[in-house]
Amino acid sequence: MEKLTMKGLRHYLGFPMGLLLTFTMALPIIALLVNSLSFGWRWPDLFPQALTNRAWSYVLSTTSGTYASVGLSLEIALVVTIINLVLGMPGAYALARYNFRGKLLVEGIVYAPIIVPAFASTMGIQMTFLRLGLTESVLGVILAHLAPTLPYMVRALIISFQTLNPSLEDQARTLGAGWWQCFWQISLPHLVPGIVAGASLSILISLSQYLITFLIGGGQVVTLPLLMFPFINGGDLAIGSAYAVLFSGMAGLALYAMSWVLKHYYGKRLDFHI
Amino acid sequence: MNHLYLKGIEKGYYHSDSDSFELNIPQLTIQEGELFALLGPSGCGKTTLLKVVAGLLEPDRGEVWLGDQTISKIPTEKRGLGMVFQQALLFPHMTVEANVAFGLKMQGISKGVRLEKAKSMLKAVGLSGFGDRFPAELSGGQQQRVSLARALVTCPQVLLLDEPFSSLDPELREEMRDLLKGLQQDYKLTTLLVTHDVNEAFVLADKIGIMKQGRIMQIDQPQILYENPNSPEIAMFLGAKNVIYGQLSQGVFQSGSFKLAVPGKEEFNQQPGWIVLRSENLKLCPVPASTKFSQINRDLILRGSVEKSVFSQGSYHVTVQMDSQSVILSFPADQSSKPGLGEVLELTYDPQALVFIPEY
Repeated sequence: MEKLTMKGLRHYLGFPMGLLLTFTMALPIIALLVNSLSFGWRWPDLFPQALTNRAWSYVLSTTSGTYASVGLSLEIALVVTIINLVLGMPGAYALARYNFRGKLLVEGIVYAPIIVPAFASTMGIQMTFLRLGLTESVLGVILAHLAPTLPYMVRALIISFQTLNPSLEDQARTLGAGWWQCFWQISLPHLVPGIVAGASLSILISLSQYLITFLIGGGQVVTLPLLMFPFINGGDLAIGSAYAVLFSGMAGLALYAMSWVLKHYYGKRLDFHI
Repeated sequence: MNHLYLKGIEKGYYHSDSDSFELNIPQLTIQEGELFALLGPSGCGKTTLLKVVAGLLEPDRGEVWLGDQTISKIPTEKRGLGMVFQQALLFPHMTVEANVAFGLKMQGISKGVRLEKAKSMLKAVGLSGFGDRFPAELSGGQQQRVSLARALVTCPQVLLLDEPFSSLDPELREEMRDLLKGLQQDYKLTTLLVTHDVNEAFVLADKIGIMKQGRIMQIDQPQILYENPNSPEIAMFLGAKNVIYGQLSQGVFQSGSFKLAVPGKEEFNQQPGWIVLRSENLKLCPVPASTKFSQINRDLILRGSVEKSVFSQGSYHVTVQMDSQSVILSFPADQSSKPGLGEVLELTYDPQALVFIPEY
């Protein structure tokens, strides 16, 4: 009998595992797609009785508000991510490099939003924003989105900073690089993977926020999840499915575009950097 | 004038009770074009001193002068120094050429000029044609060469070297030393080298400063330092095997019943101190001293039995026990067969080569 090695195992299990993975990933999307194209697909029918483009023509029509909400979702996610980067960079640097009094407390506060239930903190944020007049505004929603996203950005950047040898910066300084040049030429290229990871999480989490956007935006800031929710919640499952597919596509594309831009930019610098 | 001058440098380190020391350099001058080696065991503060000169660490007190102006208040990047660390520290996302040109880029030199300079510098360190590669594609020795080229290409006023070769193989180390010495002399670079490798300091340096616990114990040219160490620790650090404590009286050194004739030191009377009897100064008597053919002065004969005998790299290193004192001597292995344990040997020495370090 053949020896059961890792290679052999991979050989025998590779195909079924891949198939399983594809099905678990693709099946829900396929089901959603079929659902969005069906006309009254109900139990106990195994397949929809008739196909129709009704849901999609509604979703893609100009009157549905889809385009505006996709644009708004992406805009909020992008601004949130940029603010996260600007806030997270110095914060992560300090947390990775220095030991100071109360460091654990600061870390605790930074990570708190992903430990404390979002509903609890959002209620507090809403009370404060009401007083400040920030509710029912895009700005308010952007600020509220920072709470659940910043911890992931900081975490990713801390790990990147921890793997950056501080001596490299010393070396750059002895070669005449000032503070800004050290950061721009030496540290930042090293941080790209961490930035990609942090920004991906930040974008995804911001895009998928429903509760925070609903409470802080007061229903006036209509992002894609807000537009989608009534349909999923019993309104019209076909349209809800179409929105769900659209949402997956939007999130996937946003991720792809972001990592492409970052990697392409630094990839270029890597090749032609002189 | 581009000499480097340190004045009253003090820097305290207090990690814990056991691990704290104070760097204290009242003054130190490194002449223009000189290669000065700071030699000391690890943890003696030599790297700290180098970082103070580079501006990477701020001293508690004191000033660093370059020529006739103080550079203490100038940040590292404007000091115009070159520094090579123990690791090559090449920037991993840049090509070898971009690494070498980095310093020139920071000076705002145009791309064409800096690429040309980088190319010729790479040639000087024997790495022509490696410019397009990335650091990860080079061996350790090649990386360290690139690091050296990168530090030299900006024509620094002072070159600082922090144990630059200690992570390399011995063979490669020798090659790099030759390369460094050649380049240093070609460019007449004022160089401060920090090392714990005695051999490296002696091969490279014009002048050596011995450092211990944050202080410089002795500064001199290598040979003078070797021949006239001013403390028993320095003598032992520089490789002396037999450093014996005793008393010198009217030209005779005595430690217990062990006696040595020390001519030319008659001015000392009952002076306690150490005698340095180098293992290469001790020789086997070719003929038994008791015979009348022996030409050797009887006062210069030591007799003892072999306690330990080790063969290493073409020499025997033999420990001989005589009365209260054991001494180590070395001689080429081809001179005679390996001395057996317990064998009685007669040794002689050159009294002129003895060094006496008085205790004050």
